[in-house]
Amino acid sequence: MPGMQFGIFTVGDVTEDPTTGTTITEHERIKATVAIALKAEEIGLDVFATGEHHNPPFTPSSPTTLLGYIAARTERLILSTSTTLITTDDPVKIAEDFSVLQHLSDGRTDVMLGRGNTGPVYPWFGKDIRAAVPLTVENYGLLRRLWREPVVNWNGKFRTPLQGFTLAPQPLDGVPPFVWHGSIRTPEVAELAAFYGDGFFANHIFWPASHTQRMVRLYRERFAHYGHGGPEQAIVGLGGQIFMRRNSQDAVAEFRPYFDNAPVYGHGPSMEEFTELTPLTVGSPQQVIERTLGFRDYVGDYQRQLFLVDHAGLPLKTVLEQLDLLGEEVIPVLRKEFAIGRPESVPDAPTHGALVAAAAAHTSPGAAGHNDE
Amino acid sequence: MTKLVVVSGGLREPSTTRLLADRITASVVEQLEQQGVRPETTVIELRRYGRAIIDAMLAGFPSTELEDVFGQVAAADGLIAVTPAFNASFSGLFKSFFDVLPEETLEDMPVLIGATGGTDRHSLVLEHALRPMFSYLHAVVSPRGVYAATDDFGAGDSATRLGERIEKAASDYVRMLRSCGVRTPRDPFGEDLAEMAHLLGNASAS
Repeated sequence: MPGMQFGIFTVGDVTEDPTTGTTITEHERIKATVAIALKAEEIGLDVFATGEHHNPPFTPSSPTTLLGYIAARTERLILSTSTTLITTDDPVKIAEDFSVLQHLSDGRTDVMLGRGNTGPVYPWFGKDIRAAVPLTVENYGLLRRLWREPVVNWNGKFRTPLQGFTLAPQPLDGVPPFVWHGSIRTPEVAELAAFYGDGFFANHIFWPASHTQRMVRLYRERFAHYGHGGPEQAIVGLGGQIFMRRNSQDAVAEFRPYFDNAPVYGHGPSMEEFTELTPLTVGSPQQVIERTLGFRDYVGDYQRQLFLVDHAGLPLKTVLEQLDLLGEEVIPVLRKEFAIGRPESVPDAPTHGALVAAAAAHTSPGAAGHNDE
Repeated sequence: MTKLVVVSGGLREPSTTRLLADRITASVVEQLEQQGVRPETTVIELRRYGRAIIDAMLAGFPSTELEDVFGQVAAADGLIAVTPAFNASFSGLFKSFFDVLPEETLEDMPVLIGATGGTDRHSLVLEHALRPMFSYLHAVVSPRGVYAATDDFGAGDSATRLGERIEKAASDYVRMLRSCGVRTPRDPFGEDLAEMAHLLGNASAS
């Protein structure tokens, strides 16, 4: 999958279907999530990503368990999170969980880190939200060392010290999973991603495009500032949110009750206003194609596009139909069109294979260097 | 150039609240001009943004139009804020506007507060509702606000007395505004970034 990667990301919400008044069980939601992931591979998507949440109405509290199960039933799909909570999860456990997942999936694993957490969640994991930013910096600094150094001696503020710790298993082929940093609104996350030369994923879907443009520009500038390459060489991912039917009026009529009642945006701006201000696209496959290609106008050529398709109480059958349309009519065109005019200097989306090759060529000049040690 | 923004929470047309806001503004402008300062004033009628304010509260981000209004407030050197008194407080719309306005916008902002009501028994709304809210937002609230009840628009000398109160409040405010000088709006985006860069610098140095 050279060039760009396309995929879906889920929050795993259990939401009442407003058109029928029925709510699926947590069990049904988890099974539906698996069915959606398998469908993603079937239609030729590159990535499936799950959020991490620790409270109802969300189900994905244990992402690597879910992704490990999906890994066993797929061949090509890259399995990621969107996001893993770097503030409240123990970095040692993150390192172990993703290392095992990387082995099981033969390298089809990356991780998206985020703070994304509300106040009440922190104490459930023994942490204090007032330290969210320093926790992020310290935990991620440790995670990087756990994945890179055979024996780690470490001292920090938020965790008991490590003495003579060796991660088991070591990362597959000695190459850690590629790390994205996911952000809805904070510039700190862009700075963190830029500092380490990691990927930056702009959630995109809950804020106006102008905001995303500003964050991505900042990330690209700071990526160059920290010496990882030119701004166009930074690794950018974007979220998106779509509902399609062949006939655009059908899409609008069918999605409206879901939009109007969705916990995240119902009862506020109209669907039309929300569509204008954010990347939400409700319409025909052609409209989704045009809108998505337009993202490049304000973030530049980028590496990964993830769509949200399975929330707000949409039934599984409808979601699978969305994926059929995505696979048949949208993704092939997006792959072709995004490749046109893409400068040579813009990196392909990261894969395990490419990272292994890059590590082998590490001595060659121009190989991505890190200045963080 | 001194930029004044006037926020009026009046709901009707014509609006007593807007009328009071205009009279306060006129007095402030007149006194500034007497001191050789020619201010630029912008009036924001909240009714026009009623839906946008509630949408911003529910969606978590403002419409383009409302974001422009936020920008005008942020760029101001001084704010004149006037609300009708509802149920012993400011109106819900007035409060909601300041609830969705980015938190740091009013830091160090010289503010002149005003309110209108059916009777003068509500006049302490200025001290019990408006002043604490603006203090909380780290604005610099002028010591004298203006409250106008229906009776103030009656016959006799009540109108004269309202005029005098406006003039005194404007005089206090002008003195404060001029002492505060040119205002530099906060840049929380840049501040967050600098804090993170600092933390990362420390982390990699240790």
